[in-house]
Amino acid sequence: MLPVLVVHGGAGHIPDDRAELACSGLCSATRVGYGVLQGGGSAMDAVVEVVTQLENNPMYNAGCGSVLNAKGEVEMDAIVMDGKTLASGAVSAVRNIANPVQLARLVMDKTSHVCLTAEGAGRFARAMGVPEVPGHSLITDYSRMRWEKNLAPDANPVECQMGKMGTVGAVAVDVEGNVACATSTGGILNCMEGRVGDTPCIGCGGYADNKVGAVSPTGHGEAIMKVTLSRLILFHMEQGQSAEAASDLGLAYMKERVGGLGGVVTVDPRGHWAARFTSRQMAWAAAQQDTLHHGLYTGEHFTQNLDHQP
Amino acid sequence: MKAVVVVHGGAWAIPDEISKASVDGVKAAARDGFSVLRRGGSAVDAVESAVRAMEDNTVFDAGHGSVLNTDGEVELDAIIMDGRTLASGAVSSVRNIANPVSLARAVMEKTDHVMLTSRGANLFAKKIGMVTLPTDTLVTEYERNEWEKHKKYVTGVKELFNSQWGHDTVGAVAVDCSGNVACATSTGGIRNKMVGRVGDSPIIGSGGYADNRSGAVSCTGHGESILKVTLARLVLLHTEQDAVELSLRYMGDRVRGGGGAIAVSPSGEWAAKFTTERMAWAAVEHDVLWYGLDPNEKCKEQLSQ
Repeated sequence: MLPVLVVHGGAGHIPDDRAELACSGLCSATRVGYGVLQGGGSAMDAVVEVVTQLENNPMYNAGCGSVLNAKGEVEMDAIVMDGKTLASGAVSAVRNIANPVQLARLVMDKTSHVCLTAEGAGRFARAMGVPEVPGHSLITDYSRMRWEKNLAPDANPVECQMGKMGTVGAVAVDVEGNVACATSTGGILNCMEGRVGDTPCIGCGGYADNKVGAVSPTGHGEAIMKVTLSRLILFHMEQGQSAEAASDLGLAYMKERVGGLGGVVTVDPRGHWAARFTSRQMAWAAAQQDTLHHGLYTGEHFTQNLDHQP
Repeated sequence: MKAVVVVHGGAWAIPDEISKASVDGVKAAARDGFSVLRRGGSAVDAVESAVRAMEDNTVFDAGHGSVLNTDGEVELDAIIMDGRTLASGAVSSVRNIANPVSLARAVMEKTDHVMLTSRGANLFAKKIGMVTLPTDTLVTEYERNEWEKHKKYVTGVKELFNSQWGHDTVGAVAVDCSGNVACATSTGGIRNKMVGRVGDSPIIGSGGYADNRSGAVSCTGHGESILKVTLARLVLLHTEQDAVELSLRYMGDRVRGGGGAIAVSPSGEWAAKFTTERMAWAAVEHDVLWYGLDPNEKCKEQLSQ
């Protein structure tokens, strides 16, 4: 059953013309991440690798392709968590770097802190020799177009952007049974400067515990925060629920209690996994044994042989 | 419905020189919060008021009296949460405002967001007319001297880390006459911390959590450990009587971190527990003020005193 990798590319409403590219991008990133696990790499290495791939792909709301804040600038958040030690690293409102997930990992590995924000995160990046990239290199025509559209006075940013471009994330269990999670985002389109969503908040934007499992969510950030979705789902698993049932319980609660929609990828230490969502769509993919699983709409579950290169 | 307020002024080896001021400070804050509840104010009003009182008190590491980061500047974090709706507001790494808990409340009530950081948080503060104060107004001479001493000996966070030093974040929890619960937490962080370091205090589920269905919690102690176990959320996921103790013990066992937490249930039961050497805390229920500092200490005063 091990290893396993489950990945999401955002929950919400992906326009049809972008759906295919979103799915294929996810599948190829998942193959790469799974290759890390098959080669004996750790769960942490795998989730960081797959999220890096997605950050580099302009299709997703993370790294390059991030949505723009109210000022038309990119501010990014990311988190990683290691289920073995509960070590975690996170960055919020970081600018001008290509891979926030890697910076989050550096926070975990190279500092005695769990979270760095804004200017401090940028300073740390420079101290670590992370290359600074110009802001415009992270901005795509699509994200600029969405931003301009949202400047219209009657636009509702939450509706307008829910998953049209998605937060990305992954969970994994490696051959040793260690779990990890990683999540990365450019936030909400046209949000206030300095807005921090669920992604870099431990227990919200991700959580990993070798004794229980790992979760990475996507969806309406403020709702995910209010119910501490990742921690909540793992709590249900501690109470004996399966990864799938626990995910559904958590998402249903979020919808009922605070009216928020979203999705999660979840895994337990034995390799049982789930990709569940209450939004219209969530681009997801999973790799286990010889099979690549993937889907987009509710109920979809396609499989491909992992040896088959499309 | 029983109205209760509990406050803490930090869990660490509070030195004797400031122990009286710390205990006086939490007692005053608890009285403050309770008077809000008594005149029909909400749990959210009460926790904001109690935390403001401690932010204004230079003996605590929040608002006035904050510690300095490695650049010799002040960066403040705070959170407030309404158990009725799960609405929450938080600020991290905001500079030079006297009452971060009130800014956090404004995030909750005046924006669509739950958290603002850094420059964005300061821009919002300015927009709503919150004044920025010079660092010297917020920081005590004692802190300035301590900071310089630490700088000289390159005593960074690694030493303060997980030791019994300087965890005097402040916080409050309350349940009001309508049975609504709320929490608030505020801090200046760890002395000499990296610029932009965010601890547990403004992170929902870690520094605080409030839910009418289970209760409200505010935490203090070693921030990174509190984060790793999402301590506030953990306390509320336990249904046992000694949820706070169990959770603190778990934090000690799993990630070797020390701290303290205050909690209140929707029906008015409350707890104030810690695994550090001391924690300044106070609680008011009915007309009785309870308070303590050392382990197992629980002193009592009539409110009319």
